[in-house]
Amino acid sequence: MSLLTIVILFPLIGAIATALTPRTETALIRAAAAFSTFVSMVLSVVVFVLFEPGTGSYQFVQKTGWVESLGISFHVGVDGINVGLVLMSAIVAFSASLLSKDIKTREKEFYTLLLIMASGVLGAFASLDLFFFYFFHELALVPTFIMIGVWGRGKERGYAAFNITMYLSLGALIALAGLIGVYIQVGIHSFDMIEMQQAVLSNPIRSDVQKTLFPLLLFGFGILVSLWPFHSWAPLGYGAAPTATSMLHAGALKKFGLYGLIRIALPLLPEGAKLWMEILAWLCLGNILYCGLVAMRQKDLNQLIGNSSVAHMGFIFLGIASLSLIGITGAVMVMVAHGLLAALSFGLSGTLYKETQDLTLSRYGGILKQTPFLGSAFLMAMMAACGLPGFANFVGEALVFFGAWSSYPWQTVIACWGGLVIGGVYMLRAIRSLLHGESGEATLSIKDAHGVGERTPYALLLASLLVFGFVPGILVNKIKPEVELILSRFNEDGPVTRLAVETTSNVKHLSAVAEKGTLQAQ
Amino acid sequence: MINEFAWSILFLPLLSAVGIFLFAKRSEVASAFLSVGSVFLCFVFAVVLFMAKGHGEAEVLTLPWLQVGNLVVDIGIRLDALSLLMLLVVTGVGSLIHVYSLGYMKGDPGFSRYFGSLSLFMFSMLGIVLSSNFLQMFIFWELVGVSSYLLIGFWFEREAAADAAKKAFLTNRVGDFGFILGILIIWTLFGSIDFGTLKTVASDSPGEAGYLLTLGGLLLFCGALGKSAQFPLHVWLPDAMEGPTPVSALIHAATMVAAGVYMLCRISFLLSGTALMVIGWIGAITAVIAALIAIQQSDIKRILAYSTLSQLGYMVMAVGVGSESAAMYHLVTHAFFKAMLFLGAGSVIHALHHEQDIWNMGGLKEKMPATYMTFFIGTLALCGLPPLSGFFSKDAILFAAWESNKPLFMIGAVVAALTAFYMFRLVVVAFFGPPKSEAAKTVHESPIVMTRPLWILCVPSVAAGFFGIDVFLEHYFGGGHGEVVAWYLKPIVAFTHAPVAAIFGLFAAILGMCMAWGFYNNATSDPVKKGLGLVSVALQRRFYFDELYQRTLIKGQDVVAGAVDWVDKWIVGGLCVRGASGGIDIVGRLLRLLQTGNLQTYCLWFGLGVVAVLYFTIN
Repeated sequence: MSLLTIVILFPLIGAIATALTPRTETALIRAAAAFSTFVSMVLSVVVFVLFEPGTGSYQFVQKTGWVESLGISFHVGVDGINVGLVLMSAIVAFSASLLSKDIKTREKEFYTLLLIMASGVLGAFASLDLFFFYFFHELALVPTFIMIGVWGRGKERGYAAFNITMYLSLGALIALAGLIGVYIQVGIHSFDMIEMQQAVLSNPIRSDVQKTLFPLLLFGFGILVSLWPFHSWAPLGYGAAPTATSMLHAGALKKFGLYGLIRIALPLLPEGAKLWMEILAWLCLGNILYCGLVAMRQKDLNQLIGNSSVAHMGFIFLGIASLSLIGITGAVMVMVAHGLLAALSFGLSGTLYKETQDLTLSRYGGILKQTPFLGSAFLMAMMAACGLPGFANFVGEALVFFGAWSSYPWQTVIACWGGLVIGGVYMLRAIRSLLHGESGEATLSIKDAHGVGERTPYALLLASLLVFGFVPGILVNKIKPEVELILSRFNEDGPVTRLAVETTSNVKHLSAVAEKGTLQAQ
Repeated sequence: MINEFAWSILFLPLLSAVGIFLFAKRSEVASAFLSVGSVFLCFVFAVVLFMAKGHGEAEVLTLPWLQVGNLVVDIGIRLDALSLLMLLVVTGVGSLIHVYSLGYMKGDPGFSRYFGSLSLFMFSMLGIVLSSNFLQMFIFWELVGVSSYLLIGFWFEREAAADAAKKAFLTNRVGDFGFILGILIIWTLFGSIDFGTLKTVASDSPGEAGYLLTLGGLLLFCGALGKSAQFPLHVWLPDAMEGPTPVSALIHAATMVAAGVYMLCRISFLLSGTALMVIGWIGAITAVIAALIAIQQSDIKRILAYSTLSQLGYMVMAVGVGSESAAMYHLVTHAFFKAMLFLGAGSVIHALHHEQDIWNMGGLKEKMPATYMTFFIGTLALCGLPPLSGFFSKDAILFAAWESNKPLFMIGAVVAALTAFYMFRLVVVAFFGPPKSEAAKTVHESPIVMTRPLWILCVPSVAAGFFGIDVFLEHYFGGGHGEVVAWYLKPIVAFTHAPVAAIFGLFAAILGMCMAWGFYNNATSDPVKKGLGLVSVALQRRFYFDELYQRTLIKGQDVVAGAVDWVDKWIVGGLCVRGASGGIDIVGRLLRLLQTGNLQTYCLWFGLGVVAVLYFTIN
């Protein structure tokens, strides 16, 4: 059995264990949840460290046949693109299980669902079989709905649960239609992603079919990632979800749609991608600019984090839309970074909510003085969110800017404004009203995190953000070769290059360019 | 060995910051030791490096950091005359201010946090100085921004400090937005972001470059607009004075705000003629606006802050008229005397228990002799009186302006007069005459840990003109007169070489001093205020820039955000999403009305259906 399989299945085993534990033994249930996600996290770190970049093949593979007649098998493995996502999800799952102390009723069911969700997320990212890829996603999605409905907060929680269920089920269904279409069009009667990718190399899907199938995947997956204008479920849902659920969903599960685009849509439907990426590059500005502006106006902390998290998805979309090595590498980097960051932000806001039952910004103030540890963690999370170097988010966003620049200069300009200025405005306003100034009425009832147990989840998430921010090479060098492989399927350049980037190899040519300063419009 | 020194200079402050924040937060002694120790070591290493490599060719050490496609970002150390000189200034002034802080911050509950943030700042600033490529510079640029944010907002429970920190960060972010776009354009044009490669490529293609290069240069300049607080992004610097005074001295006078000028000198080969012209005028406008505002401020730190703005304008103007060596020269001398002036002001504020209004001071000359002497010498240096350091550097700028752009020279001369005026106003009101408040009567000199750095800074403030910094810089940037003169002849050569610039500058300074003496000697309130009337109000309100930005840009963005939020709540979230679900709901309810379970109703519908079908088939 591959190490990766254990990473995926361990939370599921934990779920069975918690389901069999008597419901009065809450301490035991919590310990089981923490232990199983911890083991899974440690093993995923091992996988990440042992992973060899640039071999061009999947590692830690396990393939076990299941329904032979349809070509379905349990097939997991990692390459440079998902190895970081698996690691990130495992870290987020462990942190989420430690930060679920706000759950006071039906703990047993909650932790069981949480562990099922964790397994689902990990499985979705590790699966190399289209069937299991989708199955694991649904395995994680259904508990999300139940958790919001049962343990959610606020008076809107019924509507929020309903809304998120309808939206995400719709997205998943559209994506399913696209996936089935792809399965039929590839026509090798196999759900195996590797086999499908090899098949289209020699026998690509017809160009017009690609152009019809691609939007199904783009908008199906897009809805799952809150692509503008299908984003309104996200702030609403995260505002109503229990802490651990929003951590795991906003952090990890939401990246499933993006991962699907990169893993399935781009390699199998390159012709379709070329057509639709122009549109995606404009839509992503809806996320960056529109949702960023919406975030500026929020008076509730969770609504602010929710909207800013939607805004961050825009950078990933822009990176994917660039169809460039730098851009897509940056997009994957932001996926990992944002996963850790979203988990951290929702974890922190959940801690505040647990004490005060209210996240209205104006009722806070002076948290940094009252509770220095939580305050510092908040400060760092918000700085990471507005793209401060040193945190992983900066590396990803900078790569996206550099990658998207030559194809979409105007969109990149707006994205830079959104990332540097609008992001700065709403995050600094939040710091100003939450952390600085005099202590607000709500601040007084917050207790700081004490001891290893309470501080671990924050420290872990922050440390991961800082490690990837200071030494981005450990992740980027894994992602890069795989993106190169995907892009090799695009025989011509992707989007129209509007600003050609010069290479230093040809200095003579360079000087001519510098003299003219040509804007190479096509 | 030398290379290890260079890397230590970059990473020692980081280690110190990490050490303080993670382990030494409870121990004041340990954090002070770490922070002060690291910066002193850096200074020693910087001196060694300067001795070893100051006159050699540029040398680059690199550590691969990120490489994707044709985007190569190293964490590099570029050692050349420019960076080594800047290194000496930053670590030298930095060391003294660290020591001074030991006295100034004594007893503050955030003592350890202060030194941790200071170390973080040193790391970021040294990163900018040593950068070997644009993205690395941008990274440290942002880090400097955040450490400045942490230090301005050091007393974050005060509303004013928290607001000032936010304002500083966001204003800088607007500049950085331009900076990153400039980097992207340069990368597009030349395919590299490495300073060394760019310099080779750019010097291979002389002649008139295209508009894209001009645009790129101006966008890079936006970064300097933010960091060096140039018009129209100058509004954050005066507010930044809410931070502790040693921070104002180090970050908002001597080093960080000079980073913009340093960056321009570093990349001056990329600036086209048009870009240089814009830069020169922006510098001149900043210099004159800030100097005008300074003459009607009454807060001792704000006067110095506007003076800093004005002097930074001078430096930027020098870059604009094509004399990077004059800009760097003034940067260096200004770092010495402005740091000294700020520390002197800090000494006064500390002694008066956080009184900052000069009209509540007076008579400090006798009570605080050391502070007075050093402050007075700093003022003379800032006014540009020979043979103090400020004279030579200011003269270099005025001379460069005279050579290339006469209107800018005139503005420069006017600013020199204004500088002398507001500085003498400050000195006369605060130090001379009778005490104007109770606190000023019972004041005592500050402790030795604070006065000693003042005296040490006094040495270069007085004598930096004789160190040969100008020759050193001209050797690096090229140009200059080439002749080497004996040190004692320098003041005379300044007058014989470019008599107009030197005489005008000196005359302007003396005029300003005399006017200030005439107006303010023994004054208890500001006589100029009445004479100027409404102008004075406008000056006190800093020409209403803050109000203007508040009502237009900030308000505008808020209104747009409000509109978008409204659309999101009511159109997207309301009409579309709730509408769609509500619509389906209503359709369901309507259809349910048909399913009554009543046989007669079904018969009726059936009959109507038959009639309808018959009607359509017959027609």
